[in-house]
Amino acid sequence: MNTLFNYFNKMRGASKSPPGVSGSEILWSWVGAFMGISLVALIHSVCVQNSTGLIMLVGSFGASAVLLYGAPKSPLAQPRNLLGGHIFSALIGVAIYQIFHGQIWLAASIAVATAIAVMHVTKTLHPPGGATALIAVIGGTDIHNLGYLYAFIPIGLGALVMLIVALLVNNIPKNRRYPEFWL
Amino acid sequence: MKNNLDYMESALPKISEEDIYEAMKTISGYLDITPDDFALLYRAAFRHAIERIRTAVQAKDIMTRTVISVGPNTPLAQVASLMGKKHISGIPVTNENDEVLGMISEKDFLRNMGSQTSNFMEVVAACLGKGGWDAISVRKSLAKDIMTTPAITVKGNTPILEISRLFHEKGINRAPVISEENKLIGIVSRADLVKGYTI
Repeated sequence: MNTLFNYFNKMRGASKSPPGVSGSEILWSWVGAFMGISLVALIHSVCVQNSTGLIMLVGSFGASAVLLYGAPKSPLAQPRNLLGGHIFSALIGVAIYQIFHGQIWLAASIAVATAIAVMHVTKTLHPPGGATALIAVIGGTDIHNLGYLYAFIPIGLGALVMLIVALLVNNIPKNRRYPEFWL
Repeated sequence: MKNNLDYMESALPKISEEDIYEAMKTISGYLDITPDDFALLYRAAFRHAIERIRTAVQAKDIMTRTVISVGPNTPLAQVASLMGKKHISGIPVTNENDEVLGMISEKDFLRNMGSQTSNFMEVVAACLGKGGWDAISVRKSLAKDIMTTPAITVKGNTPILEISRLFHEKGINRAPVISEENKLIGIVSRADLVKGYTI
């Protein structure tokens, strides 16, 4: 009875929401995200225009932008996590899709769950990695045709472009810095 | 030594959730942590620091290494003159193997010289009063007759916080430091402790 009470009691939450950020923090988050995503999107347009058939802009980069430009202090936003989390998750997503493509629901869930486990083991936890693994499964023919290339273009390259923008933009304001650590 | 840790932690002002929240507000940029998690970290880090400081300075770092000691059969007159000459208020009694048998302090002398409470003025009163002083028994006694035994000893790696607590609890002013083989290797006095806290 007591155990059950404790179980439900935990659902009430124990702490409170951290304080909000300053106006300049919001502004620099916006500038960083704009620069990062626009650069990746421009490369994407050029690739598509040149009809190489390659894709650059992937949904999970929107999530990475939140961390890289919105919470650059977070351990989840550091270069190790950004690159490692995306690339490991992409490789897992592709592998799981190729094994389980007959059962999309199963491939999707195994891909995301395994991506999280591998990111934990490699200390590269990066939430957008979960999206990267999921997109490898549900991203459609264009993505499926890339095979393991998906892990390097668009995923690895896109993450690298966003990392470079983060290094350049996040270090401009004097009370901001990036990264906290590399490895 | 959990008690010391709890004591030191309780001596620290309790850090409230509001303290943490206000502190977080002074950091620009989004902190990816809740105030509650920070409090957990803070307490764990504080305990870690206490543990580190607690064990940093040990008996062997502060002890006096050249210890003056006497044997169990040394006459008390000789013990007293040695203590007087060397300006020491307590002396270990050791056997031929350098093992500590007991301690003789000024209090042990006083207790055997007409004072029930090892109080100096009581001895003075006994000297001046009722036409004589009853120090005959002491004059003929040996170190082993008045030493406090067993001696309260510490090891070379005993942390000074633990020694301080021992001194306080046992009401003693010095403790012989013994090796793993129980041999006398030094002595720690209250003065050594005071010095130790400045290391």
